[in-house]
Amino acid sequence: METDEGVRRERRLAWNEDWAATIVGLVLLALVLTQFIPGWLVP
Amino acid sequence: MTEVQARQRSQVWWAVGGVAVVVLLGALTRYLEQNVPVFTKGTWLGGIAKSVEYPVYAIVLGLLGNAVLTGLGFRDRLAAGFRTEFFIKTGLVLLGASINFAVIVKAAGPAIAQAFLLITLVFGFTWWLGGKVGLGPKLRALLSSAVSICGVSAAIAAAGAVQARREQLAYTASLVIIFALPSIFVLPLLVDAFGLPTAVAGAWIGGNIDTTAAVSAAGALVGEEALQIATIVKTTQNALLGVVAVALTAYFALKVEKTGEAKVSGRALWERFPKFVLGFLVASVVATVFLESGGDKTVIATVNDLRTLFLILAFVSIGLEFRVAPLREAGWKPIGVFASATVFNLLVGLGLASLLFANFSG
Repeated sequence: METDEGVRRERRLAWNEDWAATIVGLVLLALVLTQFIPGWLVP
Repeated sequence: MTEVQARQRSQVWWAVGGVAVVVLLGALTRYLEQNVPVFTKGTWLGGIAKSVEYPVYAIVLGLLGNAVLTGLGFRDRLAAGFRTEFFIKTGLVLLGASINFAVIVKAAGPAIAQAFLLITLVFGFTWWLGGKVGLGPKLRALLSSAVSICGVSAAIAAAGAVQARREQLAYTASLVIIFALPSIFVLPLLVDAFGLPTAVAGAWIGGNIDTTAAVSAAGALVGEEALQIATIVKTTQNALLGVVAVALTAYFALKVEKTGEAKVSGRALWERFPKFVLGFLVASVVATVFLESGGDKTVIATVNDLRTLFLILAFVSIGLEFRVAPLREAGWKPIGVFASATVFNLLVGLGLASLLFANFSG
């Protein structure tokens, strides 16, 4: 069974996006908790 | 530079343009949400403006942007920048920081029970109905996964598991968004009409609306506690995605395609497990420890503002992604199956949420 190239691309993108969102979310949380991102900077 | 490289570079620029459109409309949403109630204070519009929450501005602006860009002929080229899944998942990781870990632990039991029962019943019903009206097994698998687990991301996982075609995936994704959009507004209205307790309302929304971004939008319209419970329930459903995808891989290999190659391994489960669920849990633990050890509460308020920004970007993207064209290509049968499954999900979901979350208090 061969996976459709378009579906394979979507899966790869979803997988990368999932990791990216997790890392970006946790990094932002760390930056706010350590006050590298102050409250006034977030509209 | 070869022609392929030039085309790829042009696609990247269009995607960057798409992100810029989302950010611009997101900024406008934030501006309207914060200023319209001020501008209309004391007028007949004041009361209405005060009750309109940011998901409404974001989705309406996304739909308007969609119409304008479609009219100008740019929408499809910019679409690669409408990253609903990235924005919502980042927002949900940040949302984890506003939920005390004890609440997650307390809600885990009923959330797992509801997710397990709902996925089994709704998947089973959609699969059965799809078979009755003569849909092919691949489209049945995609529709059943999308409606019972978590919309577009479940459809993507199922498409990989059953080797579906690109058009079947695009079609299912369009169906998910078309049905999710009205439910963002209808479910909060029904919650009011039925007078549901907040926890039951959150569990109903979380177990019902297919796509995670729309769950957050509807939850936010009901209120902060409903948003938290809806997110816990939806995140639990997301976590079960890997199990369903692996089961589908095995079923299709052994029963449908009969290749006998069923790769059911721990690695396959891990690959399909949505990693943002871990980020959500880690954020909750970190923020809980931070506050318990005397951390500044206003810092968490900043995290919440940041979370709202990402949710706004996700809701704008939902509006921008909305397309009806793929539906015309596939006919009415799958729409009928999806609509029936949605009604079935609504009813069973309401029953389960009322039963499992009746005495829940965060």
